[in-house]
Formats: sequence, structure tokens, C-alpha cells
Amino acid sequence: METNQPRKLFRSHQDRVIGGVAGGLGRYFDLDPILFRIGFVALAFLGGAGILLYLAGLLLIPNEEGTSGQPAPAANRSVLAVIGIVVLLIVAWPILIGGGVFVAAVLVPLSVLAIAGVLVWWLVSGEGPSGEPRDIAVRAAFGIGVLVLSAALGVGGAIAAAAGGSTAVAVILIVAGLALVGGAFLKPVRWLILPALLLAVSAGGVSAAGVSTDGGVGDRYYRPASASDLRDRYELGVGELEIDLRDVDLPPGDTPLEVDLGVGDLRMTVPKDVCVASKVDIGAGQSIVLGRRNEGVDVKYEEHPDAPPSASRLLLDVEVGLGSLQVRDTDEAFFDDHGFDGRDERDPDDNAACRGGTRAG
Amino acid sequence: MPARRPDLPSLAAGLAVIVIALLMLLDERGSIELSFAVFAPVACAAIGAVLLAAGLSRR
Repeated sequence: METNQPRKLFRSHQDRVIGGVAGGLGRYFDLDPILFRIGFVALAFLGGAGILLYLAGLLLIPNEEGTSGQPAPAANRSVLAVIGIVVLLIVAWPILIGGGVFVAAVLVPLSVLAIAGVLVWWLVSGEGPSGEPRDIAVRAAFGIGVLVLSAALGVGGAIAAAAGGSTAVAVILIVAGLALVGGAFLKPVRWLILPALLLAVSAGGVSAAGVSTDGGVGDRYYRPASASDLRDRYELGVGELEIDLRDVDLPPGDTPLEVDLGVGDLRMTVPKDVCVASKVDIGAGQSIVLGRRNEGVDVKYEEHPDAPPSASRLLLDVEVGLGSLQVRDTDEAFFDDHGFDGRDERDPDDNAACRGGTRAG
Repeated sequence: MPARRPDLPSLAAGLAVIVIALLMLLDERGSIELSFAVFAPVACAAIGAVLLAAGLSRR
């Protein structure tokens, strides 16, 4: 028997990736839900409209489970209608009267945070975003709280690892890991998953990059007046380190110089009549040594040109955890006030001192 | 009495965290040289394993 009852739009319980919005729309319009999913993702890149529309659907479209053919209470419907109008106005705002910057700077990050909260809740509890809008909002808030605390723990762990506490952090991680494994068989402690993972990834990343806070935090500028003022080693934990050797008259032969920077930018200026041999190790970042650029992760660069016996050769041994290294010679505009001036390729005259001459100015 | 199935996300996360911690300890001892080239795939695999386990556990 054919019924004349109008079709109702519900969030699908069977066909859902996040909240069943696309699944419900697909069933309502008798279309493949993947089309709606592609649409949401595509719109997400257009000022974040896809994210906001999906959130609107999550709040406005009732869940298939809790309906049972009964209409929502009138009070709930009024609240949902107000929320829906507000969300639709927000979505339409940049189109109607401008304000795309507001959407991009405020609403999109908030939407991403809300979705992250729901996903964290899903990871912690195993429950998707079903139920009443109020329940979803509460779960999202709980998820955001867990996320913020986990991020704080991750940052703390990274700092501890950089300060030489890698072993202690590793021991804490093993204890947390054993608690998770044991809990998996006895009583799951899923709330521990995200903090433990973030701590492991951040502290492990710091260890892998070789970041160390030895040498302190801040900006340092060194300009030794003579070779006797030149130290064997310069070190900084976090910050900007600049070593200016333009006043140093290096003696003939090799002069070793070791520089260690945890996180930040390292800039060095060397006299143009000095041959530069370099050994560079950067965890992640960029190195520009006399015009030769290397960048990425695990940047290792080594060049040991021979120099005439009468020439001065500077043996640079540089380690940077995360950041950049720039080595230029005097009187050359390798860099402007805002960084590298764009000369990527090595100039044939660079490091000419290694061949018995001086570099062109 | 049927044996209780372990909670897959917790199990995967616990093992992943222990593996990363052991890598950190070995690096600290000097037994291995932990670099980004090694750590980045391990970290991605760890996160992926947890998400996969969380997805499978819903079925």
C-alpha cells in the first residue's frame, strides 16, 4: 500500500562517516551520499563554508535513532530553528555583505576546533556525534578540553626532552603505554590515548631533531674583535644567534669553530679572504652556506675544500635542531633585511679563497 | 565463558607509545641515531594504527 506521508530528513545511522549528514541527504534526495561528501569537502576549501554547512546539518537534522516517528518537542524545534538561522546567516554573510576575513580568521578555526573536539570524543568514548544537539555540544567541549590538556602535555614533554630529560619522558611513556595495554584487556583507559600519543610524538620529534636548550633562550650577537677573542664553540638553546667574524683576522692554517643551536636562526658572516670548510647537520630546516642551499629534514651538508698552505681556512661544524643557517661573506649582499635575497645557486667565485684568491665583492 | 576481546584502540596506542619510548631510550644511549627520516614514518604509522584500530572497533 502506498502512503502519502512526506519523506523526512534524518541523519543516517547506517551510512555515516562523521555524523550521518551526507548519508541522510543522499537517502532523502535518492542520490549517492558520496556526492554530498565531495560537496562538503570542496566547500570546506571555499572559506570553510562546507564545515559550517556540515555543522548546521549536524545541529538541525535529527538523528535517525532518536526519532521513532515522534516529532521533536516544540521548544527544541524553536531552539534548533534559531541556531539554524544564525548558522545560515554566518555562511551567507561573506556572500551577501562581505566579511570573508572574519569567517576565515574566526569562524573556520572555531569550526575546525569543534570538529576536532567531536573527533577526540569519538576516539575517547567510541561514540559518534549522535543524539541531541546539546549532547553533541557537551561532547565537543569535553573533546576540546582533552585536546587542550594533551597539547599542553605535549609542549611540556617537548621542552623536557630538549632540556635533557628524554630518558625521564621515555620512562613516563613506557608506564603510560603499559597502562594502555593492560587496560585494553582489563578496563580500557581511552582518555589516556591522546595525551600519551601527543607526548610521544612531540618528545620523540625533539629527540629526532637533536633539539637542546643548552645555552639558554634569547637572541645572541657575537662580534669578536680579533682571532684571540674567537671562541672554539658558540651555543644557544632557543633564539636567534648571529656570529659576525668580519673583524677577525684568522691566522694561516685551519681554525675550527663549532656552533650548536637548538631551535631558531643562525647567521654567520665570515671574512671574504677566508676559505670556508663546512659540516652542517640540521634536524629540520634550511641551510644556505655561501650561496649553496639545502633544506628539508635531516639536512646534512659537508664540504671540505683544500686551501693553499698560506691561506686561512675556517672549519665550521654547525648543528641546528630546528631552524635555519645562513653563512655569508663580508661585503656581499647575500641577504637583504628580510632574509635571503633570492640567489639560490652557488656563485663560481664563492669560496674562491680556497683556490688562493679572494671572492669577488 | 567467552574470552573478552581487548580494546583495540587502547592496545594499538599503548604499543605505539612503547615503541616510540624505546626508540627515544636507544637514541639517548647512543645505540641508534634517531633522525627525522626514521621518526616521521614511525610517528605516522603510530597515529595511523590508532585511528585504524578506533575505526575497526566500531564495527
